[in-house]
Amino acid sequence: MATLTRVPDPVRSRAPRQRKRWKYLPHYLAVSPFFVLFAVFGLYPVLYSLFLAMQRWDGVGPMKFVGLSNFQFLVADPTFWDAMGNTLIIWVLSTIPMTALALLIAVGLHSSIRFKGVFRVAYFLPNVTSVVAMSLVFGSIFSSEFGILNWFFGLVGIDPVSWLTDPWAIRVAISIMIVWRWVGYNAIIFLAGLQALPTDVYEAARVDGAGPVRTFLRITLPLLRPVLLFSVVMSAISGLQIFTESQVLLGNRGGPDEAGLTMVLYFYDQSFVHSDFGYGAAIAWGIFVVVVLFAILNWRLIQRPGFLKAGR
Amino acid sequence: MTLTRRSFLTAAGLGVAALGSAASCTSPTTANPGRLTLWYTNGGVADQVVADARQRFGSLFPSQVSGSLKQRLMAAMAGEAYLPDITMLGDDIATYFADTAHFADLNALGAQSVASQYLPWKWQAGTGPDGFQLGFPIDIGPAALYYRADLFAQAGFPSEPDEVAAAVSTWDDYFVFGARLQEKLPGRHLITDTKTVYTYSLAQEPQKYFDRQNHYLGDAPQIRRAWDRALTAFHKGLTGGYAGSQDPGQSVERHAAWNSGKELSFVNASWIVTDLKKSAPETAGKWRVCRSPGGAGNQGGSFLAITKACPNPDQAFEVIRWLLSPENQPRAYLDAGLFPSSPAALEDPRLHEPEPFFGGQVTMTVLSQSAREVKPAYFSPWDIALSDAYTDELTNVELAGKDPGQAWDDARRAVERLLTRQGVL
Repeated sequence: MATLTRVPDPVRSRAPRQRKRWKYLPHYLAVSPFFVLFAVFGLYPVLYSLFLAMQRWDGVGPMKFVGLSNFQFLVADPTFWDAMGNTLIIWVLSTIPMTALALLIAVGLHSSIRFKGVFRVAYFLPNVTSVVAMSLVFGSIFSSEFGILNWFFGLVGIDPVSWLTDPWAIRVAISIMIVWRWVGYNAIIFLAGLQALPTDVYEAARVDGAGPVRTFLRITLPLLRPVLLFSVVMSAISGLQIFTESQVLLGNRGGPDEAGLTMVLYFYDQSFVHSDFGYGAAIAWGIFVVVVLFAILNWRLIQRPGFLKAGR
Repeated sequence: MTLTRRSFLTAAGLGVAALGSAASCTSPTTANPGRLTLWYTNGGVADQVVADARQRFGSLFPSQVSGSLKQRLMAAMAGEAYLPDITMLGDDIATYFADTAHFADLNALGAQSVASQYLPWKWQAGTGPDGFQLGFPIDIGPAALYYRADLFAQAGFPSEPDEVAAAVSTWDDYFVFGARLQEKLPGRHLITDTKTVYTYSLAQEPQKYFDRQNHYLGDAPQIRRAWDRALTAFHKGLTGGYAGSQDPGQSVERHAAWNSGKELSFVNASWIVTDLKKSAPETAGKWRVCRSPGGAGNQGGSFLAITKACPNPDQAFEVIRWLLSPENQPRAYLDAGLFPSSPAALEDPRLHEPEPFFGGQVTMTVLSQSAREVKPAYFSPWDIALSDAYTDELTNVELAGKDPGQAWDDARRAVERLLTRQGVL
């Protein structure tokens, strides 16, 4: 924007302060679309939800001010705490295998193999597939008696698992869906990171006689650290908002023992299924607090002295 | 160039501002001014009948709402813009009783004169506590027992509808019958899940959670009865554990059980038939229908209502009256599986044809009897949430091994918390 500022015209500057205010109008206008849209679709709903969290409202009738009682309920609501636990469990269960798998795939794609482009597209496809369609397919895969997964388990002599009714199996099933959906996306990001690594380090390693495994552990992994961190932060953001997989696979209540009930699903159930918008807004703010805590955690991790340089 | 850029930006800014103010001034109260907008869900009103109504009433503008109609309706009502003239309301119609200011009282439009043409309990379900007629009946969901006659016969058990109905007239009889049958046919089950038993047992009661004045009935015996029945079925090993069988993930399992004959029978409202025929076409001819254990009950069914925004409620009422007339209801049943809410329609000879899928049985005989015998229980705005609380805990007992006593206490606590939060208790 600096190139656009003009020297004040001495002849016409009768009311310099007034003029100064108007002079930058075009610039303000130029940057305004984002701020206007954000104010209307971002800031206003955020502030309004805070207001809503202090009301009892069925979505149509008159609102009733209830002060902080919605928040009191939230803090003492075992279901919300369960939902938070579920969300974190599912996040851990999905992020760790996903990162490892994505890394493996990225290294595989990075090495000189044929049909690289085809593989890249293939791995990315799950990410752009409709989650609802996916959940239907996974519904048949996870079916306890007629599913492919249990049939395969039977072949190798493992007892069938009731994927959609056992509380822990539910969490694993949802995690598998998340891994399926995001592994390709992360692999592509890792691949981009791998391709940006300097080749001279690898040449030096080869000259020093390091094997492929050693090269991977000692050179590739440390150099990839910033990219890994990015992917973990991104998956934390999306992981705390897991919703669709649970909802389509298990319905609005999260299945038996509410094992698949995530924070956002609980928010959805309370506000849009049971039309309790005040409490829904309070849950949303509860989620916000959890996300902020996570963000601080991530930030502290990055800010740790020498964190990014650790591998150099 | 800078001048042009500046003027361009100014013009653009003004344009945006003008657009904004214009939109706020002209956003119409109804979705299509000058026409009668009708919102309904996919299959909620029979398409054929709607098409005919369009011919008949030129101004009718039917609009099939994709996704959740309730959410769209609430957004439109809260914003008082783009409202439909006529809208469908689900079996949670009671949640709108507090907001009757947004709707037209059908009694003021002459609904009283046709009230007698519909099942009294269904008509009452569309009436608010203050006598405000909010909903006009579309369809109902009379419950019945669906069973595999071939497998019943194979095990040497009664298989004709009348015989089966006599053998399982109460829930207890049904459980005894089921336990004996499952001994003969191991690995199969008679009951979908504990939730089914709870839901349909409660549907047979004259009272549920609240009385008509919205007084909470507390720890009422009918709740405990339904709960205990569900647990009995579970303890006897009769339930299949298909919790959430309405969800895509779980329905796969249940559909497979229909096809393989693993689910020998189930109690459900009549609307399941569409699903059954579509999901298990190979079992055609093997199913029969008889009176549900414990008697008649209703689950589901919808209404049409007129919003306050409708400029011509009289005409809208004419449309509704025609769409849902006793003459048109048989077609709606045959085309879209919408079970008639009018006794006259239940008599229609077209609905009393033998059905190949049910081995030539005239299922309407059973279903219409159930429809007529439903007790007019009051369905409160909180009923669905409360039922969810109880059935969630039943599911925990059935599938997650939770202690039944603990589950009952937790369900009671969840209900109390919910009602306190909602300001009912």
